[in-house]
Amino acid sequence: MTASATENIYLPKLAVLDRVTDDIAEVKTFHWHFENAEEQKKFKRFRPGQFAQVSLFGVGEFPASLPPSPTEDETFFTIRQVGSCTAALHQLKPGDKFAVRGPYGNGFPMEDYYGKNLVFVAGGIGLIPLRSCIIYALAHRDKFQRIQIFYGSKTPKELMYQPNLREWEKSAGVECYLTVDRAANGWTGNVGVVGSLFKKPGVQVPVDNTVAFVCGPPIMFRFVIKDLLAMGFSEQNIVSTLERYMKCGVGKCGHCCIGVAYVCVDGPVFTYEQIKKLGEDI
Amino acid sequence: MFSHPLPPNVPPSPTPAERERRGLGGRGSKFIARIIARTDVLKIVDLLRQQGHEVIAPFCGRGRDSFFDTVTDENRSAVELHLPNPYYPPKRFVLPHIERLLKVRRINGDIHMEPTYTEQKRAIFGIRSCDVAGIYHLDRFYLGRDFRDIYYEKHRKNLFLVNVVCTDPNRDIGEECFCVCADTGPAARDHFDLQLMDLGDEFMAVAGTPAGEAMFTNPIFKKAAEAHVERRRAILDEVRKRFKTTTSWFPATVRYISQGNILEKTWEEIGNRCLECGGCTYVCPACTCFTVSDRQVGPDEIERVRIWDSCALGGFTRMAGGFNPRRAVHDRRNRRFFRKLAHYFIQRELSMACVGCGRCAAVCHGDIGMPSVVEMIRRATAENDKIAPQPI
Repeated sequence: MTASATENIYLPKLAVLDRVTDDIAEVKTFHWHFENAEEQKKFKRFRPGQFAQVSLFGVGEFPASLPPSPTEDETFFTIRQVGSCTAALHQLKPGDKFAVRGPYGNGFPMEDYYGKNLVFVAGGIGLIPLRSCIIYALAHRDKFQRIQIFYGSKTPKELMYQPNLREWEKSAGVECYLTVDRAANGWTGNVGVVGSLFKKPGVQVPVDNTVAFVCGPPIMFRFVIKDLLAMGFSEQNIVSTLERYMKCGVGKCGHCCIGVAYVCVDGPVFTYEQIKKLGEDI
Repeated sequence: MFSHPLPPNVPPSPTPAERERRGLGGRGSKFIARIIARTDVLKIVDLLRQQGHEVIAPFCGRGRDSFFDTVTDENRSAVELHLPNPYYPPKRFVLPHIERLLKVRRINGDIHMEPTYTEQKRAIFGIRSCDVAGIYHLDRFYLGRDFRDIYYEKHRKNLFLVNVVCTDPNRDIGEECFCVCADTGPAARDHFDLQLMDLGDEFMAVAGTPAGEAMFTNPIFKKAAEAHVERRRAILDEVRKRFKTTTSWFPATVRYISQGNILEKTWEEIGNRCLECGGCTYVCPACTCFTVSDRQVGPDEIERVRIWDSCALGGFTRMAGGFNPRRAVHDRRNRRFFRKLAHYFIQRELSMACVGCGRCAAVCHGDIGMPSVVEMIRRATAENDKIAPQPI
């Protein structure tokens, strides 16, 4: 994306919070829209995997993944409360105003994946950025071959986007496999790490002509990558999105610069082959 | 994917007709020269002030200390032409140490955002060639690629640069200067509006832009003769030999860093000497990193400011929640030198993020300024040289 010559790249646009829904402990989804309808229309051209900078005036600005798909009507963020900005966002009530700028970053090149199998592997809140791709892929179902989702969390209560999960489990167009580390609340599904799903009887992961999306905590990432490589996936067919401390989102402030990349403009989406070359912890 | 629009003040190469009109002949130079008497040199400061510029010039403090300050009627006669380059670089006139980006007011639940810009006409008189290259690097970084930084641009397009060539080996050239190795000096070849060089009783003035050339209409500037050009060349020849620090392995370091051929052990050795003070980044004319902070300025008013930041500091990459991908000091030092010297970035900006000013070497308590790092890498490479001739 290219900004016009006169545009102020640091100026966010005012947004109004519509409603807040609880996801899991400390994670909430914030539905919002831009005050200016024109801005809303411009913003809606984002690609899955891009991110936005969210401003809480007086506290600061932080980068947030975009969980909605551009094919959906609503715009929302799903945010875990970890720092001062996210805590301030969690305090907001419907009708309150904040500000957003973006979308930024490269996003997943979904058009390049047309005609391929898609395998989504997510752990915990790693499902947030992948939700956008999954919804996008299902909205363009005829463009892709098989679609598989492998998703795990610590406990059944910590599974994100439960209405979506139930829908995907029932849908004929997608194979959705869930797992938890510790069973509770009458959980009858699989117990174990995400990687254990790959070896379950009846599960067959396509390797040829397949792109694997991996998002989750560092430890899960490392093990899933090992499993995928062992299955025969090539490093350039495994994609992920990186998280870094960021201030500007437009390649100027320097905080997210690793290896030869500024995560905010050259990423956040990288293939595993690229991530390895960048040479920093995930 | 990457666009490199020309920054402001960089003129396109003159057309043949333009060369003819400016009397450039076939020498392949796009610059025209004039001669100005030594006693008239500070009149350039007066002219710039009359044109409405805030003129910044270097002054001497005590001992080695020197600093850039605004020229006033009172201090005008104290402006120095030959002095050690101030440690606090003139970068702050295009990228202020602290700069307000937005003013935000809350009125009856509504939020009013107002970007604030500074459009002060400024001239830096007496900027050294290394710092001219530094500003050019900032131009490439902030104005090139996909996003233009409008705050930077507003400072930059109002800035007039009068470069003074370092010709006095005792006053101008410091212990740590290595512009000859970074290829930025002692005489800048471009990116200034006006360049002055001391020829003894008189100075040669060279115009680098139409704005600089426009100054030549003033009668203090006299026609230059071929003998002046010859004298300029002879002085430069001599000055190039007077550098104390020569970082002769600089290009090789660029290659080794770009190819990832530097051992982790060497980075650790460099990192172990870093005191994490951030001094190197604050005195660097080509460092670009900043952080952004909101601060309360009234009961219902905040301002969003950007502040110089440093990759040497531990919290530079620490995310909310505490995860820090760069935990070890040497990871961060490695980062600084990689970002400055990796071929990928030199190509991306068409300019190198080290201009050879030597400030980092002068301020570093651990002696890991750029020249020392280059030397440490050279030594480590020599020790690890795997090619040994076989006496067969």
